[in-house]
Amino acid sequence: MTFTTLPARAVGIGLRQPHYRELFERTPALGFVEVHSENFFLDGGASMHALERARAAWPVSLHGVGLSLGSADELARQHLAKLQRLVERIEPTLVSEHLCWTGIDGVHVNDLLPLPPTHAALALLAERVDHVQSVLRRPILIENLSAYVAFHDAEMTETAFLAELARRTGCGLLLDINNLWVNAVNFGFDPSARLAELRGESIAQIHLAGHAAVDACLIDTHGALVSTDVWTLFEEACRRFGPRPTLIEWDTDLPALDVLLSEAARAATIADRAHADV
Amino acid sequence: MSELLTLQRDVIAALRDAGADARAARWLAGDPAHLERRLAIYRANMLASAEKALSAAYPVSRQVVGDDFFRGLARAFQRETPSTSGDLGDYGIGFPDFLAAFAHTQSLPYLADLARLEWAAHRAYGAADAPDWVPSALAAVDPEDQAAIRFAWSAGTAVVDSPFPIVRLWTIHQPGYTGEFDVDWRAGECALVARDGFAVRVSALARGDAAFLRAALAGAALGDAASAALELAPDFDLGALLARAVATRLVCGFTVEPT
Repeated sequence: MTFTTLPARAVGIGLRQPHYRELFERTPALGFVEVHSENFFLDGGASMHALERARAAWPVSLHGVGLSLGSADELARQHLAKLQRLVERIEPTLVSEHLCWTGIDGVHVNDLLPLPPTHAALALLAERVDHVQSVLRRPILIENLSAYVAFHDAEMTETAFLAELARRTGCGLLLDINNLWVNAVNFGFDPSARLAELRGESIAQIHLAGHAAVDACLIDTHGALVSTDVWTLFEEACRRFGPRPTLIEWDTDLPALDVLLSEAARAATIADRAHADV
Repeated sequence: MSELLTLQRDVIAALRDAGADARAARWLAGDPAHLERRLAIYRANMLASAEKALSAAYPVSRQVVGDDFFRGLARAFQRETPSTSGDLGDYGIGFPDFLAAFAHTQSLPYLADLARLEWAAHRAYGAADAPDWVPSALAAVDPEDQAAIRFAWSAGTAVVDSPFPIVRLWTIHQPGYTGEFDVDWRAGECALVARDGFAVRVSALARGDAAFLRAALAGAALGDAASAALELAPDFDLGALLARAVATRLVCGFTVEPT
């Protein structure tokens, strides 16, 4: 399955409003830029104009945070219709969402909540992903989640869940290395063993981000430099699967553009090195 | 009912009410001693999302009350009116009414109207871009049919009426504003919120102009809207208003349906 036209070594950064002016002036050589889909569920205006300008300069990846694929009541059809409209307008190189739910009975917490990795949840997710892919007429990517709670009726690991979801639906996986590391620390598992549960051909994109440590718990803040542990795990993933289009995610306490570009350059260097060694 | 549905209802109940932790706890693994702190991370994220969305839609209200008080308002509003959409751009439509009723904002009676203006501006920001049209077509309308003209208004155009100087308050809180900061608190203002290219403009309307635009935006034909305006303001100048509306692309088309 081909998930994207991006080269495997493409490296991108998030497109965030405070950087618009500088990005458009400098147009750095980025493999792609990524935005949160919901920020562009608009009819027109300055934000849409900026996204279209970006689209003219780089491939754009749409990363959703609000579709709530795992809500047990029903899929938000209106939300999906807005996503469909945006996909048709922007023609993104990738469309991704999370293995999560964000609300139930019409109440949203607008935060990514983990699903219990059960066979019932897997059946639900497979049905939802099938539906979304048929509406959007393209494969989507599903991302592993950072979590602070786990469920006692877990029937498999999250990675086994995702591998099976990809097998059943043909969806791609967005492997968030920081999320995997955050969970490995928060729940005490070996992240390498989890990587071994994934099939390389399913992995279509990688996310890298920073986290914060609070009371022996790692919190996925997207507000710091990528940590040494996460770089090491990234290199391991590159060795195992080969390079994949990789994004530096940074959403809170946004630094200067050059900080993001330097993180992106570091990701490219590590991917090259890992690949050269294989 | 599916087990997953029950689990999700329990988790949301716990996140919305710290007293309901036990409802979530029955599903969760790990040391119960840590659970409270772990759920607190999600609660903090939920509140931060609400506060961020409200700050984006209501930046002037936030400046007026200060960051700390605004955070408290966001928390209280979120408790009362949770988000109902995965798109946070939709969140906060009820915030002005909340401010009008909330006990701790009664000393700021203008705040709710100021917030109404801000919500209109928030909506205008992402409204559809105005289509190109040829205003000269207006001149070709038969004089006898002119009263039946119905204008198409640029998407996002709104009129917000207030007994308080909301346009003045909005103006002096804009980034980069360098003028005087005096406010005539007795001067009620009617705000026109409209897109001008990609910019959102807010301006004060004369009483007659406001009456005309309110009627016309609600779908009234030109003749009826002008009558409504003249009733309120005998000095209403239809020609001047229309010239301005066309020049600023407030009007972006029209239809004529003679009766």
